Amino acid sequence: MKYISFFALFSVLFVLACQDDDYNPTRSENITTTIQFRAEYDNTNLAIQSATYAYPTGAELKATLFQYYISDLVLLAADGSEVGLSDIELIRYEDATADNIEERTYDVPSGDYVGLRFGLGVKPDLNATDPSNFAANDPLNENEFWNANARYVFAKIEANADLENDGTFDTGLSYHMGSNDLYTTITFAGNFNIDGDGDPQLVITADMLKALSDGTNTFDIADPDKQRVHGGNQAVATEIWGRLVSQFELSLQ
Amino acid sequence: MIKPRVLGFWAILLCLTGCQPALPAPVAVSEPEHFAKILYPEDNPTTIEGLALGKQLFYDPILSVDSTISCSSCHLPELAFTDGRSVSVGINGRIGKRNSPGLANIGYLHQTLFWDGRADDLETQALHPVADPNEMGGSWPLLISKLRRNENYWPAFQRTFGLIEIRELTPDHVGKALAQFQRSLISSDSKYDRVERGEADFTEVEKLGHAIFFDLADEPDPEFHGLPTGECAHCHIPPHFTNQRFFNNGLDEALLLEDFKDIGRALVTGSVYDNGTFRTPGLRNVALTAPYMHDGRFNTLKEVISHYNSGGQYAENRNANIFKLGLSPDQEGALVAFLHTLTDSSFVNNADYHQ
Ligand code: HEC
Ligand code: HEC
Repeated sequence: MKYISFFALFSVLFVLACQDDDYNPTRSENITTTIQFRAEYDNTNLAIQSATYAYPTGAELKATLFQYYISDLVLLAADGSEVGLSDIELIRYEDATADNIEERTYDVPSGDYVGLRFGLGVKPDLNATDPSNFAANDPLNENEFWNANARYVFAKIEANADLENDGTFDTGLSYHMGSNDLYTTITFAGNFNIDGDGDPQLVITADMLKALSDGTNTFDIADPDKQRVHGGNQAVATEIWGRLVSQFELSLQ
Repeated sequence: MIKPRVLGFWAILLCLTGCQPALPAPVAVSEPEHFAKILYPEDNPTTIEGLALGKQLFYDPILSVDSTISCSSCHLPELAFTDGRSVSVGINGRIGKRNSPGLANIGYLHQTLFWDGRADDLETQALHPVADPNEMGGSWPLLISKLRRNENYWPAFQRTFGLIEIRELTPDHVGKALAQFQRSLISSDSKYDRVERGEADFTEVEKLGHAIFFDLADEPDPEFHGLPTGECAHCHIPPHFTNQRFFNNGLDEALLLEDFKDIGRALVTGSVYDNGTFRTPGLRNVALTAPYMHDGRFNTLKEVISHYNSGGQYAENRNANIFKLGLSPDQEGALVAFLHTLTDSSFVNNADYHQ
């Protein structure tokens, strides 16, 4: 018994030691870089629940949830190579006490870059996996799938609407989108240098209103058939999805 | 022959562990294939000794100030570790505020514990009931001195946590032992699981309920097209039938967010927007865990389903997925039948979990 317990401790320490040994001095060229994912509503900081937002049809909204997955986040280097930052991230805004900025931190080799790319949604090979294959705290096991063993929900927009302007936000809006057909690659061009000295802050902004309305075409939230998209009626969602895809912005600050 | 280098390593190890007696070896509590593994805290792996000690503590009224109430008084194994009351009753018949939740698969809830999420893990959760005046009504210093003097418990704590002197025994050790036992409470052999594994088939009615629960009407497969969607699996997501997040599911009308009687999650976050939101409960063994909701207001699953079917009461933070479902009485009954397939009698009867 005594011996075994030492062995267990030994292996723990050994793993830790190994990790230390693995530390690779050439990685010192890597710069710890934070990417901000910012959420907005009509170009203002998205405030979950606490703000009352005007909707173009005259209704008012309280946002309750805005989230999306991105896959294969990469930086495009000036020499034509690609630097993979992450396979998958879930960016979620649902907390009235949190701000509208989600941050992710990566090790990025110093150098010149000409752009950034990601896929909006869960890429097909991951979308075919069972959430339970991932650790309980993995972004792919964050309870964002359609049912027990089905594909992931790529993006969600939820809000409560006051359609009648009577002060009650009693119409739930719930748009859940996702399918391999919807998976879309988004590429930004923009020159920046990362060397640890005055590096730009990379900010990826998504605007919840712009996914629902592009100023000309507005999703008709008063139509009972358009208050919910869950799974099958994705045809209704393609309109929102299309706008969601096209409104992302990258800024260097 | 042990090589000197290795010997040196042992010496370092001994010092690192503070020259404490050896700890018992961790054991792997077996977990079903189709669950993502429990995330064990590094400083509290399960051991045979810890498991046995935790179980003993769970069933022992020594934890309450007058030795009348044990954890199991409110978490009975035959009721999937609930107590059958709308709200719990503690020492001297004191009435609590909330309904006792079941503990099946509690080790998988890695985000927060309690209806309002006020505990982060099982280790710290266990510290609450002991001192709660409505539950075990005790004080930790008193309990710890009882346990230190106890001829059965002290050696068990000593063995489990490698303690030398009695003053080393703290509430943390009680929490850790209870956590080890509770992490072993795993339910994965309900009819639902057997159907998922291809070992059983739903009856027609269960199948209908399953289709409503999981919104199969929305699926490309036309079999269930035209059926109402229950929207349940936005929040009650398998395999544990909870997404562990906080929602208002329309139980009480609140024209103002300030109107909620039990503000739930807001007790922890201090945000009025969380008023009246509670953590989605897991639904495993739910047919055994009546009455339902944080205050035990519904006596039957039928009442729960008719609540959801009605769309619930207005509050501006009622979740957008709670709305009038338009289920017929037969469809309501089918949902109830599906919920019954989450009963796992091998869990309830598991001798390892009983005293
Ligand atoms: C008087 C009845 C009572 C006693 C005694 C009691 N509990 Fe509970 N337990 C409850 C109630 C009620 C809740 C829910 C309280 C809340 O969420 O505010 C609860 C919640 C819990 C939870 C959280 C479950 C979840 O889903 O988040 C765990 C774990 C738990 N109890 C374990 C224990 C342990 C271990 C003990 C003994 C140390 C114990 N309980 C003693 C009534 C009791
Ligand atoms: C928006 C998320 C959400 C949806 C959708 C939802 N629930 Fe719930 N459910 C909850 C929450 C939160 C509670 C606890 C509420 C409380 O006690 O205040 C709950 C409680 C329950 C309970 C009581 C469990 C217990 O142990 O007391 C049952 C049963 C239940 N839901 C079944 C269903 C069914 C069936 C559906 C679909 C018709 C459904 N739920 C839809 C979030 C949801």
